[in-house]
Amino acid sequence: MSKAASVNGLHHILAVSRLRAATRWQSLRVSSLRRQWNLPINHAHALQTDAAEVNDVPLRKQLKDRAKRKRQFERIAVEDGTSSNGRQKEKDARLDKWKLTVGLEIHAQLNTERKLFSTAKSSENDEPNTNVSIFDLAFPGSQPEFQKATLIPALRAALGLSCNIHRESRFDRKHYYYQDQPAGYQITQYYKPFAVDGHVTLYDHDGIAAEDGQPVNIAIKQVQMEQDTAKSTLQPPSTTFLDFNRVGHPLIEIITHPQIHNVQTASACVRKIQAILQAVNAVTTGMELGGLRADVNVSVSHKGSDKLGQRTEIKNLSSFRAVEDSIAAERDRQIAVLEAGGSIAGETRGWTLGSTETKKLRGKEGEVDYRYMPDPDIPPLFIGEDLVNHIEKSLPVLPDNTLADLTTNSGLTTKDAKTLISLDDGERLDYFDEVRSLWSSTRSSSLSPSPAFDKIVGNWVLHEMGGLLSAAATPFSPKLVPPETMADILANLHDDRITGTTAKQLLAMVFNGDKRVINTIIKAENLELQHLSRDEYLAMAQTLIDKNAEKVQQIQQKRQMGKLMWFVGQMMRRGEGKVEANKAEATLKELLGLD
Amino acid sequence: MSLLRKAERCFANQHTHKLLAAFVAAPKDITLFQQDLQAADERSKEGRRKSLIDGQLIAIKDNICTTEEPTTCSSAILNGFHSPYPATVVEKLKAAGALIAGKTNLDEFGMGSHSTNSIYEAVKNIYTQNGDALSAGGSSGGSAVAVATGQCDAALGTDTGGSVRLPAAYTGIVGFKPSYGLVSRWGVVAYANSLDTVGVLTKNSSMARSVYDTIKGYDPRDPTSLPTSTRSKIDKYVTNRGAKLQRSSSTSLRIGVPREYNTEELQPIVREAWLKTLQQLRKLGHTIHVLSLPATKMALSAYYVLAPAEASSNLAKYDGVRYGNKSADREGTDNVLFAATRGASLGDEVKKRILLGSYSLSAAAIDNYFIKAQKVRRLVQGDFNNAFSLRHPLLQHQGQSSQEGQVDVILTPTAQSLPPKISSLDKADPLQAYGADVLTAPASLAGLPSMSVPVSVSDDGRQDLKEPNTVGMQILAQFGDDDLVFDMARVIESL
Repeated sequence: MSKAASVNGLHHILAVSRLRAATRWQSLRVSSLRRQWNLPINHAHALQTDAAEVNDVPLRKQLKDRAKRKRQFERIAVEDGTSSNGRQKEKDARLDKWKLTVGLEIHAQLNTERKLFSTAKSSENDEPNTNVSIFDLAFPGSQPEFQKATLIPALRAALGLSCNIHRESRFDRKHYYYQDQPAGYQITQYYKPFAVDGHVTLYDHDGIAAEDGQPVNIAIKQVQMEQDTAKSTLQPPSTTFLDFNRVGHPLIEIITHPQIHNVQTASACVRKIQAILQAVNAVTTGMELGGLRADVNVSVSHKGSDKLGQRTEIKNLSSFRAVEDSIAAERDRQIAVLEAGGSIAGETRGWTLGSTETKKLRGKEGEVDYRYMPDPDIPPLFIGEDLVNHIEKSLPVLPDNTLADLTTNSGLTTKDAKTLISLDDGERLDYFDEVRSLWSSTRSSSLSPSPAFDKIVGNWVLHEMGGLLSAAATPFSPKLVPPETMADILANLHDDRITGTTAKQLLAMVFNGDKRVINTIIKAENLELQHLSRDEYLAMAQTLIDKNAEKVQQIQQKRQMGKLMWFVGQMMRRGEGKVEANKAEATLKELLGLD
Repeated sequence: MSLLRKAERCFANQHTHKLLAAFVAAPKDITLFQQDLQAADERSKEGRRKSLIDGQLIAIKDNICTTEEPTTCSSAILNGFHSPYPATVVEKLKAAGALIAGKTNLDEFGMGSHSTNSIYEAVKNIYTQNGDALSAGGSSGGSAVAVATGQCDAALGTDTGGSVRLPAAYTGIVGFKPSYGLVSRWGVVAYANSLDTVGVLTKNSSMARSVYDTIKGYDPRDPTSLPTSTRSKIDKYVTNRGAKLQRSSSTSLRIGVPREYNTEELQPIVREAWLKTLQQLRKLGHTIHVLSLPATKMALSAYYVLAPAEASSNLAKYDGVRYGNKSADREGTDNVLFAATRGASLGDEVKKRILLGSYSLSAAAIDNYFIKAQKVRRLVQGDFNNAFSLRHPLLQHQGQSSQEGQVDVILTPTAQSLPPKISSLDKADPLQAYGADVLTAPASLAGLPSMSVPVSVSDDGRQDLKEPNTVGMQILAQFGDDDLVFDMARVIESL
């Protein structure tokens, strides 16, 4: 281990935590659920922790990532074309000869109330070392107490990833020394994990590489439950603080088969797995908040060869960007080594954000032998079929199913539906749903069928809102234009009380901070659509026709119908929001003798 | 005799036998201790005893957590460690009115057969040979000597491969190891979890039974503790057999004698004692059945693969960060964490077993050692299942041989020899030292109840009263048949 940090200062913290652990023990004794793990569990209510309030940050990050990917695309496009960058060309040429193969190991924090093997709370953001039981600190003589409720999010995750659930699974000890690991081992499921043989399907909209075609199916080897470690905080120069609130928090580790062959597809896979885990309410937070970490196995081999090359492992990647950049860098490094006649050593490498190359952490000779041993204290875990069935039935809708629903039932285009799902960690989709249901609650159900309405909501939530967001360079938040307000605007528009132009104007006003109720704004600003009389339409159209004889001629003689729309536009502009396009068009046609 | 008088006598004995190094810590709060004693004495006089062990002085092996005294496991790495919580067994004893007489010496973390691997003084047997100090057995040697010399009324030990039975045999007392899972291990510092049990050391089997009855029971904090439902299932199972057996003084027991336990290394005096005991039992109407437990020969090797493997894992936590005293040497040099602390604070035998265990769990060796040893463990268990007439209550659905076993209990010697001289241990081949557990390890691997009961050896020609005058007989019974072990012990004690 290279991070040999001295642990001065630790003792103070530990002295405190030891006391706390001692008092905590009193409450520990009370609980005594155990043993018969093979029956359905009614603790689902206990799992709803405060995951909702942390959603802002990953969005921003995701937007940035998206923008960055776009830039990369553009760059590649330029280089493919006329770029004179020789080095890049050389690299691309190399990629024609070599095939990249990537496997992923994703660690995600389960959304649970208690730790995996103790009744201590799993909340990490409390004062350091307050949620620590005797077992969490590996006190001599202490023993694990499996918390059955942690199975629920674990099963949701595994089922969301289409895994088979093993009726019997076991817990093993993985040994290594580090200061964040109080027992000297991590309890995990190595020999007999609880879930195996799943898969995740990546579509074009998931952001896979163009070369992959679609869809890409990535097989998941296994999903296992395991313990998280304590949180180390370096206090330079030579002190490390340890917070044991995190120790023992239940994690799942998701291991894919090495079936990914493009950098982008790798990060798309991580993204998709995260989206699924969030959709089924299995995890606390996303990648950027430390709720998800990934290790990647990277190898390259000659194109056309069936044999995989020697792989290396890059550990502890905590952002999508790190996944992409580190794989690309490691791929290029391996190709360079092989082309120079060298060979790849099986080793563990590290990645720091913003760097351009992976760094060797330890070689094979320094590789840790984890000495996996079945934990002799923990009985096998039996998961009943009834529990699995129950959870499967109550599983929330997965993103891919949502897509089908949006296109078939809500009439959105596939493109819009995909965008809606993928934006803002699903928050835009939630917003869409809320606006849709608010609006539909204000109109009588006998009115028009919902797909038409849904499509309007989709347009406004995506495009009108999107235009404002990008103009202001602001990340989305439902607070910018509350769903109630959006629904109000759409209702007014649909009921012909305002024109489309006014509706857009209203949206912009609210977006820019106008806090008034929509109806108040309409009244105060005199925006209500006043239906002009037929005479007024006729007069306005006639004036325009008279002034633009040339255009009239082009329409009447050359049948340039596009010019007609120019007249409609002119009328709308002069009408200050009172002219309705369809009426203007009809009037013009009448006067010009068209039908 | 009043409880006060009895306690005073214990204190006097503690003083007299201080040099035997049985105790490593006395009760911390003497005033409180005296008050508790007084109260128990009054309860006793007024006929309001809380239990059969109310007011009894019970010593606790120092790898079992108590909150008043330190819990050191006789290791430098836990020197000064105070547990913030007590073991379940200690709580249960206190609730029954027992007084904790202090903490007793042991082989570091329970690893040893002579209680000499200790940061404290090596434990010494009260018996000597030609004036030379003899082994008290291990690893619960401190507990055994404390009981044998009247320094307390009973003691708790732990038995992983014989650590209660062997010292009981060497010191001439009763040592009982219950079926695995019947007594809680919460608060018992793990050596090898799948083998560790809390055992009882006493002068006679009825006292052992009283203590055992107090400490047994389901404990939700110990995931290997058998739940109440399983216990009542076992009880029902044993009772059904009991109806068939009609156990009473007049009923004969079928006593098994396994050929494999008659080893070459068995000292003649031990073999004679065994034979004599069997003859006496036959005279009482019990029947003797020679049988074979073929896996016995591999059992010790399997034990010395499995126990160190688990130990290497369990002791990983002693790294100087939370437990253990950080080495003064600069930790973290050469990019190796904790090595200096562990190197400085763990004893040689412990280090040896950690290395052994780490090796047998390593990727290159696990199939050949750890996995094979687990298979041997199954074979050992299968042997016993074939021998006992009572079927294993937890394995009813697994394929046991259709042929019903023929015996109710098995009787063997506990140790192959009388206690060896401590001075001879250093010179002994380490393999020979491990051989001390050869007769006790099989029952540990199978999780069976087992007890060492002293039988006196012939007085002829023995002049020196300080020399050992008993040999330990080991009673084995089917898993869950702990009561039968006690019944058998009473029969042997009455010979």
